Amino acid sequence: MIRKLSGLPSSGFAWILLAFLFLPVLIVVPVALTDRKYLSLPENGLSLQHFASLLNWETGWLPSMVLSLIIAVVATVISVAAAAIYAMGAWSLRGWWPSLTRVLLLSPLVVPPIIYAVGIFKLWAWLDLLDSYTGVTIVHVVLCLPFSVLAIGASLSHLDPRLIQAARSLGARPPTVYFRIVLPNIMPGVAAGAIFSFVSSWDEITVTLFITSRHVVTLPRRIWTSIADSVDPALAAVATLALAVTVIVLLLTTYFRHTQLVKSSKPLNRSI
Amino acid sequence: MQSSDRWAVGLTFPAVLIVAVFYVFPIAQVLSLSVTEPSVGFSNYVQLFTSPAVFRITQTTLSVSLWTTAFAVVGSYIVAFALINMNEGTRRLAMFMVLVPFWISVLVRAFAWITILRRGGVLNSVLLDLGLIGSPLELVHNRLGVMIGMVHYMMPFAILLLYANLSGIDRRLMLAARSLGARPWTVFWRIWLPMSAPGIAIATLFVFIFSLGFLITPALLGAGRTVMVAEYISVQITNTLRWGVATGLSSILLLVVAILIFFAMRQPQLRAAFQGRAQ
Repeated sequence: MIRKLSGLPSSGFAWILLAFLFLPVLIVVPVALTDRKYLSLPENGLSLQHFASLLNWETGWLPSMVLSLIIAVVATVISVAAAAIYAMGAWSLRGWWPSLTRVLLLSPLVVPPIIYAVGIFKLWAWLDLLDSYTGVTIVHVVLCLPFSVLAIGASLSHLDPRLIQAARSLGARPPTVYFRIVLPNIMPGVAAGAIFSFVSSWDEITVTLFITSRHVVTLPRRIWTSIADSVDPALAAVATLALAVTVIVLLLTTYFRHTQLVKSSKPLNRSI
Repeated sequence: MQSSDRWAVGLTFPAVLIVAVFYVFPIAQVLSLSVTEPSVGFSNYVQLFTSPAVFRITQTTLSVSLWTTAFAVVGSYIVAFALINMNEGTRRLAMFMVLVPFWISVLVRAFAWITILRRGGVLNSVLLDLGLIGSPLELVHNRLGVMIGMVHYMMPFAILLLYANLSGIDRRLMLAARSLGARPWTVFWRIWLPMSAPGIAIATLFVFIFSLGFLITPALLGAGRTVMVAEYISVQITNTLRWGVATGLSSILLLVVAILIFFAMRQPQLRAAFQGRAQ
């Protein structure tokens, strides 16, 4: 009864728009399976050679994946740890300090990344950190922080402050309160923050593009170069793997009913 | 200050320190360079406001961003509206079709669109084979391609925003209106649309802010023929080394975004999200 409420002819058009969103990304699959040596649809049959070439260390795809994985893990651990203790501290404070610092920490979500790229390029040139692992990792930590702060902050806003008062009145010292009582209660937020941080570091391209050149080639950086060259079908194989992982994870989360967590709190990756 | 408060302030320090040193400081440096490089004063800004190239770039950026915002928000509203009127199973499928592109990297999406839209691409081949066109259409490496890519990037985000907003509207209002004799269109125009105006406003503002800063999508799908402000700044830094122009333009972009955010913050929901209060 409620479903057919409006009776508007918008539903058919909505499915066309959904197709516009979903179908184009599928094109990478047949291109990845091409039997040719250049980017094209398969002509005389399917081939897995371009997936095999990904596994060849010499082609550079595997080293870039390993590098991106390491940077993403390190950046995630640092940013989630910093964000968790920040969020706990800010949560129990009142006044201008938590409000101001929260706006600063979240600002990378809305400030166009090109502005940050210009600034950090200058700073890294000065500190001799251009094209270095340290330089890229620090930038990724900064860009991951807002995702963790949002996710953990959302978890904290559901926590009952009386829990803390109870612990304090029973004689718990501040470190005990934060790390034995608050922290275990916000683990879902910490987990969500870690997932969002990992994905945003793994995908980060805009700022990384500026501060790296030949030495530090993350996976997005290699994809970028490969799109510019527009020849190697291994690019489509990488894209297919990314698509497959996304689909599998989304199906799993839908199945385990954590979809709410995944779709409601992930802010948009600003590396666009 | 009590000992517990000292503890709490101490806990906020590491994250604040990271952001102050590695985010706020470099951006402050961009602002200061814009009035000191190459010489102290506002010469960069005078140059920016008189340069025909910058004027053209600004025009392109505004026009592409406005059209992208219009298409993305209208399209997203249609999808979000359909989503709330679906039954559970259908909605799960539709949501999946929104979330897959939402989570896929911008590079993969740009690559997919190039494969489909280029001269010898999938779409042109199909249309040629069907005899619908005599020669390949120019669908990418121009403004059209950039806008297709940007609308495709922004829509899943706007759909999720609008869907959250629309599902918070009390459905009994529509039932009441219907039972009082309102036609479906009247219910839509006089109830749904006004009730969802705050959501539409937030989605519009955010899609527009994000559109202004697009770099990767215009660079790949515009291929140098449709240059937006972020790509122009990047060229000033990596190719022509004109730091004054780059930092001046960055500062103006930052100011525009700050003004837009200031207006967005007048929305109570958004202010609550930024200040970390439960809604």
